[in-house]
Amino acid sequence: MAFEPVLLRHLQIPGIQHLDTYQAHGGYQALKRALELTPEQVVQLVKDSGLRGRGGAGFPTGVKWGFIPKDHPGPIYLCVNADESEPGTFNNRILMEGDPHQVLEGTIISAYAIRASVAYIYIRYEYGRAYRILQRAIEELYKHGLLGRNILGKAGFNLDIYIHRGAGAYICGEETGLIESLEGKRAWPRIKPPFPAVQGLFQKPTIVNNVETLACVKHILERGPQWFRSIGVPPDPNNPRDIGSFGPKLYCLSGHVNRPGCYELPLGITARELIEKYGGGVWNGRRVKAIIPGGLSMGFMSDQELDTPLDFNGPLKVGCLGLGTAAVIVIDDRTSMIDVLYNSCRFFAHESCGQCTPCREGTAWMTKILARIRRGEGYLDDLDLLLEIANGIGIMPGTTICGLADGAAWPVKTAITKFRAEFEDYIRNSRSRSVTLRETTKTL
Amino acid sequence: MTHASINGRMIQPKPGQTILQAAQELGITIPTLCYHPDLSPVGSCRLCLVEIEGWRQKVAACVTPIRPGMVIYTETPGLVEVRRFILSLLLRHYYDAGYGGRERPETEFEHWVRVYQVERRRDSQAQPRFAIPSDPHPLVWVDWNKCILCTRCVRACAEIQGRFVWGVADRGERAHIVAGLGSSMLEARCESCGACAAYCPTGALDDKMALGWGRPDKIVRSVCSYCGVGCGIRLQVKNNRIIRVSGDEQAPVNGLHLCVKGRYGFDYVHHPERLRRPRVRRYLLSGRSKSEATAAEREWVEVDWDTALDLAAEKLTQIWRESGSDALGVLASAKCTNEENYLMQKFARQVLGTQNVDHCARLCHSSTVAALSLAFGSGAMSNTMHDVAEHAQALFIIGSNVTEQHPVFGSMLRQAVLRRRIPLVVADPRRIDITEFATLHLQHLPGTDIALLNGLMHIILKNGWHDTRFIAERCENFEAFAASLEAYPPEKVAEITHVPVAALQRAAEILARHKPVAAIWAMGITQHTTGVMNVLALANLQMLLGNLGVPGGGVNPLRGQNNVQGACDMGALPNVFPGYQPVSDAQIVRKFDAAWALQPTLRSSDVSPTLGLAGKPGLTVTEMVHQFGTGQIRALYVLGEDLALTEPDLPHTRQSLAQGEFLILQEIFPSETSVFADILLPGVSFAEKSGTFTNTERRVQLVRAALEPMGDARPDWHIIADLARRVLARQGRYPAGPWAGWQYTSPSAIFEEMAALTPLYAGISHARLEHETLHWPVPDKNHPGTPILFVHGFPRGRGRFHVVEHLPPAEWPDAEYPLLLTTGRVLYHWHGGELTRRSMVMQLCPRPVVEIHPDDAARFGLNGTRQVRLRSRRGEMLAYVQITTRVAPGVVFGNFHFPGPNNVNNLTNAALDPVSKIPEFKVAAVRLEPVPEAC
Ligand SMILES: Cc1cc2nc3c(=O)[nH]c(=O)nc-3n(C[C@H](O)[C@H](O)[C@H](O)COP(=O)(O)O)c2cc1C
Ligand code: SF4
Ligand code: SF4
Ligand code: SF4
Ligand code: FES
Repeated sequence: MAFEPVLLRHLQIPGIQHLDTYQAHGGYQALKRALELTPEQVVQLVKDSGLRGRGGAGFPTGVKWGFIPKDHPGPIYLCVNADESEPGTFNNRILMEGDPHQVLEGTIISAYAIRASVAYIYIRYEYGRAYRILQRAIEELYKHGLLGRNILGKAGFNLDIYIHRGAGAYICGEETGLIESLEGKRAWPRIKPPFPAVQGLFQKPTIVNNVETLACVKHILERGPQWFRSIGVPPDPNNPRDIGSFGPKLYCLSGHVNRPGCYELPLGITARELIEKYGGGVWNGRRVKAIIPGGLSMGFMSDQELDTPLDFNGPLKVGCLGLGTAAVIVIDDRTSMIDVLYNSCRFFAHESCGQCTPCREGTAWMTKILARIRRGEGYLDDLDLLLEIANGIGIMPGTTICGLADGAAWPVKTAITKFRAEFEDYIRNSRSRSVTLRETTKTL
Repeated sequence: MTHASINGRMIQPKPGQTILQAAQELGITIPTLCYHPDLSPVGSCRLCLVEIEGWRQKVAACVTPIRPGMVIYTETPGLVEVRRFILSLLLRHYYDAGYGGRERPETEFEHWVRVYQVERRRDSQAQPRFAIPSDPHPLVWVDWNKCILCTRCVRACAEIQGRFVWGVADRGERAHIVAGLGSSMLEARCESCGACAAYCPTGALDDKMALGWGRPDKIVRSVCSYCGVGCGIRLQVKNNRIIRVSGDEQAPVNGLHLCVKGRYGFDYVHHPERLRRPRVRRYLLSGRSKSEATAAEREWVEVDWDTALDLAAEKLTQIWRESGSDALGVLASAKCTNEENYLMQKFARQVLGTQNVDHCARLCHSSTVAALSLAFGSGAMSNTMHDVAEHAQALFIIGSNVTEQHPVFGSMLRQAVLRRRIPLVVADPRRIDITEFATLHLQHLPGTDIALLNGLMHIILKNGWHDTRFIAERCENFEAFAASLEAYPPEKVAEITHVPVAALQRAAEILARHKPVAAIWAMGITQHTTGVMNVLALANLQMLLGNLGVPGGGVNPLRGQNNVQGACDMGALPNVFPGYQPVSDAQIVRKFDAAWALQPTLRSSDVSPTLGLAGKPGLTVTEMVHQFGTGQIRALYVLGEDLALTEPDLPHTRQSLAQGEFLILQEIFPSETSVFADILLPGVSFAEKSGTFTNTERRVQLVRAALEPMGDARPDWHIIADLARRVLARQGRYPAGPWAGWQYTSPSAIFEEMAALTPLYAGISHARLEHETLHWPVPDKNHPGTPILFVHGFPRGRGRFHVVEHLPPAEWPDAEYPLLLTTGRVLYHWHGGELTRRSMVMQLCPRPVVEIHPDDAARFGLNGTRQVRLRSRRGEMLAYVQITTRVAPGVVFGNFHFPGPNNVNNLTNAALDPVSKIPEFKVAAVRLEPVPEAC
């Protein structure tokens, strides 16, 4: 059976951003269905569906919702993570700009399920268009009794949604950094425990979910958990930690391909299929050298590993950190891995919040080393030093407060282990070049 | 499974306990840098990582709760590698410019670097990234090149001082600590308390005054000599010099925290102007009379102790013989120890035979003591500072600029508001600093406190919010009092006080709806001609709301000087013997007659010994000074009091002092008053003597000598006792009673005598104070002390409501003197400024200023002038202008920290409260004129 897009299904419909059009296409029916259930029943449906967070960590959404303390007197908050800053990722923007009510419907249902009375949409500042579209949609909802008090006549179900625009830092996407930022502070991630579900925004129970995750919730209500589980990859029987990767996924394809874009596909498609079938292959007739499977922080896959299925489990098997945001960046064979890795390091060093010693100092040091290597002042043992730093700041679990350092470490580790020869050649050749150059300059 | 194990040792985890705390309990050290027990944990340096069996990830011990079943290892080879890695990362940007010498004490960071033998690695910073010093602060040393971004400074400032000066700017390796939005510390409203430096583990922030002095030879625990908060300090001493003062982490009041004066105001101890030898006027040596002496004969001559003390004793004895006991007066000192104050009043009463003994408490809280004695039978703070900060459900601060005058308590109150979110109502004519933390600020006119308080109580009563049960069971005279409140409806009160009706309503509601409320006040309430009645009104309020005898409530007058509570307790007051035993009680007089008995007794016909003391109070400070001028008092013996700076109406004070016959002044500096003295005896600072101070909350604490006296100076108790022996010898009398002698070998012997005669202190001794601090009353040796008063009743039986009516101040602005002057102090100075002007702290407030509202600045044509002259009916003052909305239009504020023409007491009114004789420092009428730039 051919896969039918769900999340992107309505994107081409003119005027779908407006409430009436959205409703004409079945919008807010899922919300009605949800309100006929108890919040606990909605949580159960989401648990049953096996939905895992789309924001990067792949944590089971229903399980996270279940962490909210029972009988909490409130307020409880829902934060919609629309900070979307993982390099290569743009599906949240497409959802918000193209079909804002789908996101909002998922948000309202989820708020109902967790008994949140306020939802904050934390959106990165650069997404001005998405912000305006969402704001307009929210105003429509208030006008039509879909937000505010006693929503759709359901006594006691009150919800306000506010949009908060970020000020441009990757770290604001980390859920506790996001919470700190919402509180008006510097986005320094918090130590966990306590987890946000227990003590989050303003010290109250808080759920942070990605835009795409919430959009999925709407469809789970509409079509049922069994439908959701019928898409994707069941758990690997040989891996007790794998709980399966279900549902549709928005793959963001970018880099050196002919048709970059956002493709909705069942979880588990291979990288090769994505690039060749959907992306139209590598540009200019070149070959793949490496890909990033799920946003920069996941590390690199080599051209030998393209048949890996891009589900939550697949990239792990080839030494990557995970599926991440499923944002695939293709790197062609004419590109220098030294440049790619330098860029990666520079990004993370720039975005490290500066709180944890290993992350603050390690990311900067790695950048410094790579800059040196690029200048032709590298040493062969720099590569081991890089591996040592990567290991110390992020590969070894628990060395930092949040996942940014891990994200900085995996690209280094995978690039150097998988492309070591290229690095060594470069260091040898460039070093002799620069030495010669210097010597020439001296004699002049 | 109920146990966890750390390095193989079992421990039962407590709820909320972290792995680090559990390890510390077992005596296992886990290296830390960003952690400090006083600060909220952040877990960011990652030095404290530990391993737990079966866990994939390492965890930060300082933030991870320990759970039963955990098998924890803190020092595996793997962890050692991690720590060395982390320290090497921190070293990447650490740059030590090498100042401070080789003897510099090792910092926490250097300690761990040494322990783990870490060296700088490839690509480390070779050059300083920041200027050294990185901030122009005169007292706090800043060198960002040593910063490891642990954020302890940020948290210390925010969580302990409540000031939020520090923050972090930028991200990644560019992240750095900034003051404000990248300004200097002082521009970012730093209060110079030094908490950030105290908590910094690297020396990036440090005490500038300590730089270059190396390691101390010894560290002596003592008590701060500035205010009544009574912070415990550690004097770090090298070569008989204090090189640094730090908070005493064992101190129950403050722990590591101190304020700017306590931490940085110590260097006056070593000021070159310290008196090192006794001085007498030349005419005393030549035998010429003072009135005939030429200018040359009025000069000081340095002499030895025998000469000075013999001259003093001779003259005192002569006057005693010629004019009798009551021609003599003694002024004790709230800066000196309990032991010394006890001796001063004993000197007055036993040796001189007069009740003329008083001290500066007259000028600060005499009205509090009088009023609380009337209402409850005891005149001190009823609860403790920690109790108020931890248990009050709401705070009412009236007439107390607490963050500047009792800074460490002020920061505790800020913390209470920040952490417990309790409401705070501040009533003050100025928008003082603590109003930033207030739920509500009532900016009433100076001198309208009674109207304000009665107005609030009127509303409380009208709404039935009063505590009927408490009133019925524990109080008396309620009906008459309640009836008197009828006359204070909100509209009328608003008119008198200038506080809007809505604010009155809201304040009354806050105070009534939270229980208990702690009422806190200081000189804004007491220094009025209605001082006693002001305090009675506060006592009424707390009875009305039933806020007495409970934790978190109470009447809480904040005593100013470090030992003003003690000086009062010691009976350095004209109406009471030690421990508030009234001089009017014949039985008490007999007790002291017997204890201090001298032979031969004055009237040999008496069967029982008598000192011939009057059974009625002697003269107060202000009266003694006045009568010194008129000749009724012929000699004054003054201990450490700068009368010519701190009395009201200084022109009159100076005149009286100039006309007086014989003034013995015991001081550590030549002062404004020493100009008028005949003999100057060099005493010593708190750092050179031992004894006890009693802080504002009745907590008795040990002061320990850390230095040898400067030059020939002697501890004050030593001097008083010596003088007493010499006078007695000349009088031809000798000690006969059990406590009559003056041969003290140590302050603890003096304390023992005092305790034997003073029931409030009966159970206290220096030996006990070596390892604890005690709140009086302590009736016996096993008694644990009494942190909270009135739990089981009031000393006088029932608490008495008093009818108090609003009365206008003695002087009020008029056409000729159109502005209302109110006075006080500033954070950076102490009292007359005699100590702080001789300290580095002076740099933070080098000039006298008056606060003037912008409207008044315009009205009086200041037009940018920097200096003004203020005139009152009594005198004039010259000061710099500070235009600010801290004061209301029509009100100006000045301080008394600067001498001569710059002192606000040239202007203040000496009108007295009729009961307590406290002068009205807080209200005077003045006029203002700009002073052209040239002068
Ligand atoms: C450094 C860092 C940046 C992150 N940025 C984002 C982001 O931009 N958007 C997002 O949804 N999640 C981001 N995450 C993941 C969030 O912390 C969080 O796991 C997620 O929002 C949870 O939502 P989900 O369960 O729906 O995926 C980031 C995590 C880290 C460590
Ligand atoms: S790991 Fe990096 S980004 Fe995350 S909290 Fe620590 S320093 Fe900040
Ligand atoms: S200045 Fe000191 S306390 Fe502050 S962050 Fe730096 S090292 Fe830590
Ligand atoms: S608060 Fe008072 S006792 Fe404490 S350090 Fe400051 S001046 Fe000294
Ligand atoms: S001491 Fe635990 S992380 Fe810094």
